[in-house]
Amino acid sequence: MPDFSLTPDQESLRDLARKFARTEMAPHAAECDRTARFPEEIYRKAFDLGLMNLNVPSDYGGSGLGVLDQCLIVEELAHACGGMTTSVIANCLALEPILLGGTPEQKHRFLTPFCSQYNLASFCLTEPSGGSDAGGLKTRARLEGDHYVLDGEKCFITNAPHASLYTVFATVDPAKGHRAITAFVVPRSTKGVAPGKDEDKMGHRASSTSTVRFEGAEVPVADRLGQEGEGFSIAMRTLDQTRTPIGALATGIAQAALDHAAGYALKRQTFGKPIAEHQAIQIKLANMAQAVHAARLLTWHAAWSIDRGAKGTLESSIAKCFASDAALHVADEAIQTFGGYGYMKEYPVEKLLRDAKLTQIYEGANEIQRTVIARELLRQYA
Amino acid sequence: MTLTVLILGEATNGRLAGTSVEAIGVARALPGTTLVGFLAGSTARAAAAEFGRFGVARVYAVDDPDLDAAPLAARVPSLKAVVEKEAPSVVVVGGTTNGRELLARLAAAADLAVASGVTEVSDVAGGVRVRRPIFGGRATETRLLTGPRVGIATRPHAFPAAAESPTTCAVEPAPTADIPPARLAPKRIGVTATASTAGPGLTDATIVVSGGRGVRSPENFHIIEELAASLGAAVGASRAVTDAGWRPTSLQVGQTGRAVSPQLYIAVGISGAIQHIVGMISSRVIVAINSDASAPIFRVADYGIVGDLFQIVPALTAEIRRVRGA
Amino acid sequence: MEIVVCVKPVPDAETRLRASPDGTVLDPESVKFVLAGYDESAVEQALLLKEAVPGSRVHVVSYGPAPYTEEVLRQAIALGCDQATWVEAPPGASPDPVTVAHALAAAIGPVPHDLLLCGKQAGDDEGGMVGGALAELLGLPDFGCVVDLRWDAAASRFRFQRATEGGQESWEAPAPLAIGLQQAWNDPRTAKLPAILKSRKAAISKVTPPARSADAPKSVPQKFELPPPRTGAKMIEYKTPEEAAQKLVRILREEAKVFP
Repeated sequence: MPDFSLTPDQESLRDLARKFARTEMAPHAAECDRTARFPEEIYRKAFDLGLMNLNVPSDYGGSGLGVLDQCLIVEELAHACGGMTTSVIANCLALEPILLGGTPEQKHRFLTPFCSQYNLASFCLTEPSGGSDAGGLKTRARLEGDHYVLDGEKCFITNAPHASLYTVFATVDPAKGHRAITAFVVPRSTKGVAPGKDEDKMGHRASSTSTVRFEGAEVPVADRLGQEGEGFSIAMRTLDQTRTPIGALATGIAQAALDHAAGYALKRQTFGKPIAEHQAIQIKLANMAQAVHAARLLTWHAAWSIDRGAKGTLESSIAKCFASDAALHVADEAIQTFGGYGYMKEYPVEKLLRDAKLTQIYEGANEIQRTVIARELLRQYA
Repeated sequence: MTLTVLILGEATNGRLAGTSVEAIGVARALPGTTLVGFLAGSTARAAAAEFGRFGVARVYAVDDPDLDAAPLAARVPSLKAVVEKEAPSVVVVGGTTNGRELLARLAAAADLAVASGVTEVSDVAGGVRVRRPIFGGRATETRLLTGPRVGIATRPHAFPAAAESPTTCAVEPAPTADIPPARLAPKRIGVTATASTAGPGLTDATIVVSGGRGVRSPENFHIIEELAASLGAAVGASRAVTDAGWRPTSLQVGQTGRAVSPQLYIAVGISGAIQHIVGMISSRVIVAINSDASAPIFRVADYGIVGDLFQIVPALTAEIRRVRGA
Repeated sequence: MEIVVCVKPVPDAETRLRASPDGTVLDPESVKFVLAGYDESAVEQALLLKEAVPGSRVHVVSYGPAPYTEEVLRQAIALGCDQATWVEAPPGASPDPVTVAHALAAAIGPVPHDLLLCGKQAGDDEGGMVGGALAELLGLPDFGCVVDLRWDAAASRFRFQRATEGGQESWEAPAPLAIGLQQAWNDPRTAKLPAILKSRKAAISKVTPPARSADAPKSVPQKFELPPPRTGAKMIEYKTPEEAAQKLVRILREEAKVFP
């Protein structure tokens, strides 16, 4: 049985993230949400402290952390602001394809300069006509001599307007479906690459999201990751790695909601006593606490499995799906606990609901997570 | 058997500091004691006689002007010689910056069990019991100091000044002691008296005076500011006041404003909505002044005055000014 | 410049204060001990001086029990201290300042030190006496409540301000010197993740302090008390506003002891 206590090393990482989250992120969360401001100065500080590029080995200038260590950090950051956390960890998502599909030469060529200073990267898979249906993507990559020409449009891409590097998934042959999908590394400076305007989102408003259009963008063959047709596998294996930290992100939002609700319930008085003494609120808080604990432990278990070398698809899908649903529900109940005040933007809980919602949609919508869970599960009975 | 208590004094311009008079009071309250004083510096002899005003019959004075601009470490050899000669069981000092530092060095030189910031002292079997605030005043500890010699640095103003009890005071020079040259190498090159211009910042202040809707108009808010000035306090406000634009939001104390935890919080004309309470609940002492006896603020305050703040607050300001001799 | 910084592990700011089962001390159960407050400023000041004076080193020393004292020293190493020494205290110890000073002197006496830096007072018991006692044992002049410490390389002197109740004093002093830092106007840096990971493997020297004699002076904790919960205001009765004012001022001076 694993020991559930954190090692002193893990506590140091968590403490660093917590300190950064409480002192640098939390004070600006409401303002960035209200004005949809992208707080680059905060992201730069995160980079300076080593809180970005967590999954990149230290050989290339990253922090070289396993999934559980990443989860400890991500939960703390998300407790302060889900949106800022999404932008901080978007680099991990974007760089993972290079780690999984790149040659040692490519890893060194792309990752070392990227990690040596503040840089943002974007993972470009989703398209207007297909999010969950990633295998049906339409962005085309035509081979012309020593380079490919990319044409197509991606959408809902995190950090796109600010990124210096994109990892892009395109098809070399639409007739062959997902078997033709190929992965590429495309610097922002490439001619024909155009990020769009920042979207006006329901939540995660400190994070920046836009389309990325590719029009005759030339990508050298040397910048292709793996072989033609390996892209879909690279994308799916990438998501296997990054899915669990999203569970941690959702857990952080849920924990914040629980903290606010419990604190308020002890102080607010109605009918002559703190509302925490009313059974209706107690039951609510108890359900919220169960959801948060379960979300965290499912996330930790998935992370622990992956760190031991397991593929972890079932565990990470369960963790992401459960934790994101939990975050939404706990945030909703937190608003209810605050009553009328919870509905006011001046109080911090309504933002948590808007931020929680995205965790059910991105990095694999929960409907897809459930089909994955069912598939993995039934395999055990076949 | 009488125990000897040595009181380390501080003097400026020939007058004994108020904290030293408090220390004398502590010494006198210990049963069956012989009191001895100690002073060092350029006005030592002149101030030494003041010890007699408060019932101390003997004082050692190190009347050396060079000590004023020298580190406190330079006083320790003489002080240690006094301790060796008089063998006091207890050494008391008013716990100012200087007092605390001098006692700390003496504690190492003469092996004392010491405590600082002390607010209560009692002589018990086996030693001296002291009480002192810790964790920024959020808790209190009681300790028993044992050993042949103990030392106490009082928390300034925690003890009343000793009552006058004039007695002839014999002033004698301290036994001579060599001062190691290293202790004379540092030099004080200037002193600037504290300029109290603007009041302290809200979150650092020892005392905060806040005004609420009861003040009725921005023109009236000056009575809050005058009360604060008389106390050397910071000014705060409730959300009603800042929302109405009577004062800037930087002064707002409360859930969506600043959280403060001063030694004393005076809430004037503030009803005590929970949003305000959470911003000041960890103040050590809370005083509420409000015309409404059922205002929720009285549930969390330590002391309350129900009345017209336009009469109470100016009277309070006047009384504080009178008492402080300002 | 050889700089020695003394730090004390203290409960972190979010600790819920609770008495131990026997009521004598803070309940150490689930308390997180950290480097904080004036000590954190002192470490930062030491690192700034190290950066300003080429060839300098910072040696951090702490007296405390296992396991958290070592953790706090690792935090200091992650911030940039070159060397760390742990002076081991028995578990649950809450000794008097002179005992602590003797323990620290055992570690610091033998090593080169041009500057001994402490925080003005620890974040928990706020005694502020160990620095002075330690300086006396080491034969160093010391200054507490120091604000704005600088090294004037041309004159080979420290220059600093000392805050007292009456005002501020300006001082100059050669090395070696002991300083209790009150305010350094520095913004303590945050240790970066790679440095944190590296500090986990750093070597920390361990020193066992000499035992003190049985009749050495002691300070024994007897009670740890939290203020009683608020039960509602004591209402002040009065006939005139002046009477109300007088009564309140008397209470604040004598009962509550909040101002002179």
